[in-house]
This record gives sequence, structure tokens and C-alpha cells, in this order.
Amino acid sequence: MRISPNLVPMLVVALAVLALYWPLMYLVNIPVAQRALDTGAALPCQTAFECATQLRSPVLPSPQQLWNGFGNLMLPLNSPNAIPINAAVTAFETVVGLLLAGVVGFFFAIGMVASRAFERALLPWIVASQTVPIIAIAPMLVVLLGQYGVQGWFPKAIIAAYIAFFPITIGVAKGLKSPDPMALDLMKTYNASPWQTYLKLRFPASVPYLFTAFKVAMTAALIGAIVAEISTISFQGIGKMLAENSRASDVVAMWVIMLSSAVLGILLVALVNWLERLLTPWRRAAGGAAVPAKQARLSRQEGVG
Amino acid sequence: MMQANTSPELSAKGSNAAAIVSVQGVSMVFPNGTVALKDANLEIAQGEFISLIGPSGCGKTTLLRLLADLIQPSSGTIRIGGKSPEEARKARAYGYVFQAPTLMEWRNVLSNVMLPLEVMNFPVQERRARAERMLALVGLEKFARHYPWQLSGGMQQRVSIARALAFDPQLLFMDEPFGALDEITRENLNLELLRLWRETGKTIIFVTHSIPEAVFLSTRIVVMTPRPGKIETVIPVDLPQPRTFETRETTRFFELATAVREALRKGHGYEVTE
Repeated sequence: MRISPNLVPMLVVALAVLALYWPLMYLVNIPVAQRALDTGAALPCQTAFECATQLRSPVLPSPQQLWNGFGNLMLPLNSPNAIPINAAVTAFETVVGLLLAGVVGFFFAIGMVASRAFERALLPWIVASQTVPIIAIAPMLVVLLGQYGVQGWFPKAIIAAYIAFFPITIGVAKGLKSPDPMALDLMKTYNASPWQTYLKLRFPASVPYLFTAFKVAMTAALIGAIVAEISTISFQGIGKMLAENSRASDVVAMWVIMLSSAVLGILLVALVNWLERLLTPWRRAAGGAAVPAKQARLSRQEGVG
Repeated sequence: MMQANTSPELSAKGSNAAAIVSVQGVSMVFPNGTVALKDANLEIAQGEFISLIGPSGCGKTTLLRLLADLIQPSSGTIRIGGKSPEEARKARAYGYVFQAPTLMEWRNVLSNVMLPLEVMNFPVQERRARAERMLALVGLEKFARHYPWQLSGGMQQRVSIARALAFDPQLLFMDEPFGALDEITRENLNLELLRLWRETGKTIIFVTHSIPEAVFLSTRIVVMTPRPGKIETVIPVDLPQPRTFETRETTRFFELATAVREALRKGHGYEVTE
């Protein structure tokens, strides 16, 4: 099988992380193992070095423990206590939250571009909304929504949207303002209506900015959904698993869930990347970046003169 | 189509009833007090090729933007085909070619040329036919499916000329369209532009700061000088049509280039880069 050239640096980094993790794990676990041996705890090992990888509550779990933990938490795939279903629920909340944030962010951005006064009036509130700790506002939002019978996954999606709309608003506003003055003059020479100028110029010009904003917003929304699950009553989701295992002091499980949510984040951002390539074919052709496109243009010879 | 081109004697201030563009006593003062244009007078007849030449700050681009209703004059009157610039813009009387190609990067070449036709609500079946015809006119029909980044700077600017002509305006305003291109490409495009002008019979107003370009292209050259921006003089160009590469090597070409250079110097003593 041919190994993609992109895979090599990824593998090198992964090995380097592992190479650093291993000695660190021994360093922090050996004193704990020593203490356990000193107190005469019943351990299936003799030396502190041996015991460092087998502690029930390690400071850092050994790779072997993580591997076993993944085995325990991933299977069976359809178990309500396993990671797959819970991750799917969190992913669903995140994506719905992102779409909600997209709609709200888009309207705010249009308002901000259409009116300087609106922008000045709105921006402080938007910024203020983001400085309120999500962990504090999440339970209150859930109580508020509960008043109107909104329960379950939906309040989590709203909280995800609450932190995701900020990068989207800013990104889309910048995108809508991105056409250069000459392009706007061009539309004026066509006597284009404001709506036509949005449709033919501002919206398409903002699409690359929208995707950049979506990538930032996606990770923010995922954190929002997980924090919302932790800080409210939840029956499903990564956050609920984290809260449960935290109460049970299961360090290995905490690490496994944490790493799983990191993988979930990577997958969700990859989904945005995939959509971006699908929906902006002109940029795929250009290599997705302005600089190589310019070089390509300069290096090309003038055609039939 | 050709007879209108042979009227270089037309005086700058002469009141010509057939004038398609008439500028009378136009001044432009920007809010910061800069006098970009002072008391400009100019009559342009149907089918002429007029160059506005001068150093930076002489008001040549300002004058073109005033004609296009992209800005409004502080005083004076402008008539485009008997209408005010605003009415002319709304009647889509002119196509405008900017310094940069300003192509939409998300549209391919054909679709870029169709942009004005979409905005102006041309019948759907007519848009493609017109755009294809315009691309053939600028010799880019083979590149219809390419995206702008795949074209050279010169080809991009040709697409933008095709786009400006797509809705068949009477007038073509060009603001230093070849300023960013290399000399060889520029000379080729000059020749091609003259061919376009002959074939379409458009009236072209062309801003440049290159003396050879102005002499080669124009039926008349409007020499402008800065501080404050004003029209110094208008030089008729009596080089025979059609002009070719050899035109640049004739004695008359050099005489005219010298006349333009001296007119520019007389204004304020600023050298013009060629």
C-alpha cells in the first residue's frame, strides 16, 4: 500500500507525542505506586516501576490502560453507556447549534454591513455575550427554556449556538465587506439594485470567510454542547459521560472520553473542510490559497495576443 | 462606421450638436479641499477614440468617474447622449473597464461576461449567445470554462473588456486598463483594442499615462496637468487608420509624441513616465 506523503509528518508527530508521554507517565505514577506499595495495598505487582502502569487511579494512565479503556467504552456500539451513541448525540447538538448560529450570525452580519449604526449598537452586546462564562449561563438558559417545555437535546444545541454565533457573525460581516471598491463600482455601473449587489457580489465573496468562521465556530459549538451537558441534567452525550465518570473518579475513563471528544472535534472540522471543497470548486482549482494562484497566473505565458 | 473617426479637427470647446459626451465648466472639489478638476470643457463626437493623459493627480480618472456617475461634480454640466450622467448610467449607456480586471473569482470566464446581462435581466437564452460572441470578439472563446486565476493578466483584462461590451453600450470608458501589464502584452492589446473599436464603432474614452499608448490609440488626446487638475490642451492625432505595429515607427508618430510631451511639460514641468 502506498503511504500518502501527508501521513508521514502526522505519524512522526504522533510518535513524538507518545515518546514524550511514556517517560512522563512513569515520572508522575512511580511515587504514587511507591506509596501504594508502602501502605501494603494488594497490588498484582512487586516494584514501583511495574505498578506505575497498573494503578487503579493513575495520575496519567498508561497507553495499555487507555487501550483497554477504549475497548470497554466503545463497545457494544449501540449501548447507551458507550461512547458511540453519546458522541453521536453530542455531534447532533453541535451541528444543530452551528446551523442555528449560522442563521443568526448571517442576519446580524447583514445588519452590521448594511448599517454602521446597527453595528455600533450591536457589537458591544455581542462581545459581552461571549465574556459571560458558559458554565454559568448554561443552567439558567435550561431553566428558562424548561419554562416553555423545551427539554432534552434542544437546550444544548441552543447553548452551542450561543457561543458559535460570535465567530460566524464576525466572519460573515468581514466576508460581506470583502469585495474591493472597484467591484462595487462595477455593480454600480450596471445600475444593480442593492439586492443584486448582495446576490451577485457580496454573498459569493463571503463564502470562503463563512467556511473559515464555521471551522472556528464548530470547535466552539462542540465545547458549548459538552459544557451544556455537564452543567445541566443530561441523559445522553459526551458531557454526561464526563460528569458520571468524574463523580466515579474513573481517571482512565475520563481520559478516554476526553480523547474521544477530541477525535469528534477533528471529524466535525473535517466535515466542514469537505463541504468547503465541495461548494467552492473555484478555490479547489486554485489550491485553496491566494498565493499559489497568483504564482500560477504569473508563471503562465500570455495566450494568443 | 468609419466616417466619425476622421473628425480630429473637432475643437475642444466647439459646440457640436452631434456630441455624445459634453463637459461644460466642470469642477470637482473633494471634501478635504483638493481641487481634483478645475473648469473642464470637452466635447466628444460619436465614434471617437479619446485618450485622457497626464501625471498622477491631474484629474483624468476623476473626469472619467464623473462621466460614469460614480462621483458627482461640484459644479458644471455633463451630458452623455443628451442625458445627465445618472440617467445615462441607469440607461446603461456605457461599459466601464477598471484598472484591475475585477473578475468574480467564483465565476468562470463565460459566466463573468454574463454578469451584466444577469443584472440587467436579459432573456436567459440571449445571455449565453451574447457572452460567447463577446469572448470570440476578444479571442478567448476557447477559455470560456476557465476560472479567472487560470488566465494571464492580459487575458483577464480582455475578459473584462468583453464583459463591458456584452450589453452593447454606446460608450466604453477605460481607466488605465493596461497599466499593470508588461510592454509586449500592452502593445498587443492596444492593437486588439483598435480592431475592436473599428469593428464595434463604439466611442472610447481611455485614461492612460503612457504617451506612446495615447498617440497610437487615439483620434484626439486630452492632455491634463495637475495642481489643480485641468485640461491643458487637446491634440488631434492624424495618423492614418487602420494603425499597425509599423505606425509606431513613423516620423509623424514621433512628432505627435513630442507634441504631447511638450504639452505635459508646459502644464507644470512634471516629467511623465512612459
